[in-house]
Amino acid sequence: MAQRWQPDFEQLVDEHQSMVFSLAWRMTGDRGLAEEVAQDVFLELDRHMVRIESPEHALNWLRRVAMSRSADALRRRRVRGVDLWVEIEDKHGAPVEEKQSPLETRLEQLLSTLPEAQRAALVLRYQEDLTPEEIAATVEAPVATVKSNLHRGLKLLRAKATTHLKEYIRGI
Amino acid sequence: MEFERFDQPEKSDEFERELRQAMERRPAPPSLKRRILQKRSARRTERHHTTMIWWQRVAASLLAGAVLAGGFGWRQMEERRKGEEAKQQLMTALRITNQVLNNMNRKLAEHDRGEK
Repeated sequence: MAQRWQPDFEQLVDEHQSMVFSLAWRMTGDRGLAEEVAQDVFLELDRHMVRIESPEHALNWLRRVAMSRSADALRRRRVRGVDLWVEIEDKHGAPVEEKQSPLETRLEQLLSTLPEAQRAALVLRYQEDLTPEEIAATVEAPVATVKSNLHRGLKLLRAKATTHLKEYIRGI
Repeated sequence: MEFERFDQPEKSDEFERELRQAMERRPAPPSLKRRILQKRSARRTERHHTTMIWWQRVAASLLAGAVLAGGFGWRQMEERRKGEEAKQQLMTALRITNQVLNNMNRKLAEHDRGEK
């Protein structure tokens, strides 16, 4: 009989903290909030450890919960009346700790101005390299909706890049 | 349909390649793991503490229930005992009354016979 996979919490944190943190940061546009979301996601994982059946299950579970917790965090901020996008503008204007090219920084800045559903689809597509079906399973939406969000999001991002990033990108 | 190209990554254009490159995973802050493990440990301690308090409350409730049930049982036994005692006293009184009435009856009968 095959032995049941025993998840190791610390190892899961090591392996996936960058993925969870990046998803949260790109979805919320706020580093501090992304750290809070990442902590919550892993603490929730700790409570659900007995139900995690395989490394793939852990990865998909973390992606799904990171996306939904990020959406919750954005909603809470909207309810509190914080003007998130003004904050994002401020934060993107500040020097970034990680080594990022100006193009990458500007692209992320433009991404943060897209509607939430389109941003989620693009982040999962281009950060996590997921197929539309996998994105649909992650965000719990129909595949057709995901494809539409990808198409519209990419079109909108391309249009914004045409205006703001013409000097950087050849493929616009 | 244009949507179909999302199923074929090889069809992505230069802009999408730039986007993919720009959206590589960012390294998590070095302190994130430590903070997660600290919070986890604090939550476990808190959960343990909450469980202990819960068990203490259950034990206290059980003890209080047992005391109440014991008190109620004792009271019922006491009432039954008092009832039995009262019954015995009544029976004794009735026996005495019966004896007295029998004696009076006998004396009256003797008195009637003496008059005849």
